[in-house]
Amino acid sequence: MKSRVKNLNAKIKEFPNYLKDWIKSFKGGLTVFCVIGLFLIPLITTSPYFLGIFMLSMIYAIFSASWDLLAGFVGKVSFGQAIFFGLSGYIVGSLLKFNNYIWWSALIIGITFSVLIGLIIGGITLRLKGPYLALGTMVIGIILQKVFALYQLKPILYGDQGISGIPPLSSSSVVTYYVILILMIISFIIMIKITKINLGTIFRSIRDDETGAEASGINTVKYKIIAFIISSCFAGLAGGLFVMYNRAINPLVFQPLYSFYALVMAALGGIATISGSALGAFIFVFLGEIVRDLADPLFIFSIILILIVRFASEGILRSALERLRDFWDILIGR
Amino acid sequence: MGVILEVKSLTKKYSGLTAVNDFSFEIQKGEFVGLIGPNGAGKTTIFNLISGFEKPNSGKIIFNGINITGMKPYKIVNLGVTRTFQLVRAFKFMTLLDNVKVSCLSKRGKKLAQDYGIDEYASTILASVGLVDKARIPPVILPHGDLRKLQIGKALGTNPQLLLLDEPFSGLSHEEAQGITDLIKKLHDDGVTVFMTGHVLRELMHLVHRVIAMHQGKFITEGPPREVANNKIVLEAYLGRGEKFA
Repeated sequence: MKSRVKNLNAKIKEFPNYLKDWIKSFKGGLTVFCVIGLFLIPLITTSPYFLGIFMLSMIYAIFSASWDLLAGFVGKVSFGQAIFFGLSGYIVGSLLKFNNYIWWSALIIGITFSVLIGLIIGGITLRLKGPYLALGTMVIGIILQKVFALYQLKPILYGDQGISGIPPLSSSSVVTYYVILILMIISFIIMIKITKINLGTIFRSIRDDETGAEASGINTVKYKIIAFIISSCFAGLAGGLFVMYNRAINPLVFQPLYSFYALVMAALGGIATISGSALGAFIFVFLGEIVRDLADPLFIFSIILILIVRFASEGILRSALERLRDFWDILIGR
Repeated sequence: MGVILEVKSLTKKYSGLTAVNDFSFEIQKGEFVGLIGPNGAGKTTIFNLISGFEKPNSGKIIFNGINITGMKPYKIVNLGVTRTFQLVRAFKFMTLLDNVKVSCLSKRGKKLAQDYGIDEYASTILASVGLVDKARIPPVILPHGDLRKLQIGKALGTNPQLLLLDEPFSGLSHEEAQGITDLIKKLHDDGVTVFMTGHVLRELMHLVHRVIAMHQGKFITEGPPREVANNKIVLEAYLGRGEKFA
């Protein structure tokens, strides 16, 4: 115990140096540059439309990273990530509109509920592997979509129109923007940290060879459930933020399409990278906005998927980083 | 001394086929035992039953006085029984260090590893199996002999009392097998009880102190290697009824 405290103290003392080294490194510098860029956006424009695009990108980034944590690191490919997103969204929405909760308390309740559901769905689908897990989670999503749209349940679940006119997080979209940005940064720090610590090593061992992990003395059931809990926690956060941004929610949020969005964004950036999801989300949302008048989002979604599978099965983050680094080296004359 | 593993009339049936039939044996603490038999004799099934990957139809497996029959594999590992596989299993996309680290993070491995630091302990193990210079590469590009060493390294991370090695020499050249032999010998000298299978007998017979022979799921005989190798029934099991050759 004493040695642990000592270790922690040493770590805290080393932290500023560690941070300095990290910022000086290429990846760290680039990350800091991007984050500062995001902080400066509201100084350039306060138009709710532009800020809205950024907010949606950041919300999708959390959502897609939560999927990546489960699929890329534990190997559990779920097509039902929208379940957590939608359920948390519904709870936050109804608490804000009908019960006058403050945004953060509604968000905490939404996340808690989402984690509980993650625990249950993780438990139910534990034995399913590969395509069966994907199908199983997808079916749960479809069932929820139908149940929430039921006319008979309208007094409880608000029917197929869902909830609209939900009060926003703040009347100023700049404040909303900063809240979402900070929550996104915290989420990414936590998720990336999880993949780097021992827990992440165990997760990856389950992804690579579940039987082998069991033979190494790992309680795979326990860790798979932990993974589901973490993933549903962040998907729930994204869902809650989405409702405050969108100010409406309806049963369509449960459809597999939303789960596929998470998949496409993560695959675009690079599966099993976490930060790739952020890149993927921004590209996905901006591309969708640019060609919005020309084509259906579904069309873009399909094209992106085909292009990724054909040309960049590892995602674009890694190769983009390499290109950028080469370019940087040339610039500073190395 | 004392009995470390006791297997009592173990039986495993696969729809009609009896893979292991009323099989009993004991292993003493610190012993070095081999399990031999021709292909399909049921050696791997016995390992699967002991390590919990399959459940027996009847019979009992007792390790250090604890009944481990039908327990989950990871629980058995955390009691001190670790196995390796006939077909090499490795975490493909993780470095060798991380491969070993996973077993050091198991409940049992952690107790020992924590005092040294998990990373340091894992690299010590890698060093002891002779792979420390490859700690940062993933196993996909390793030659088969190194993968066999990695398997043993992964097993060592869990700090086993009883090590079950399933065909540790299969697919290895003579030189590679020699390296593994030395490694296993060293482990046994360090106090680990070793129980290994093999259908190629050359390496195995030189290593072990006692051999258990089986054929078609049944116990045939046991004893010192030389004795068993000359046993008539064992020879018949391997070569067929040998009147033609006699």
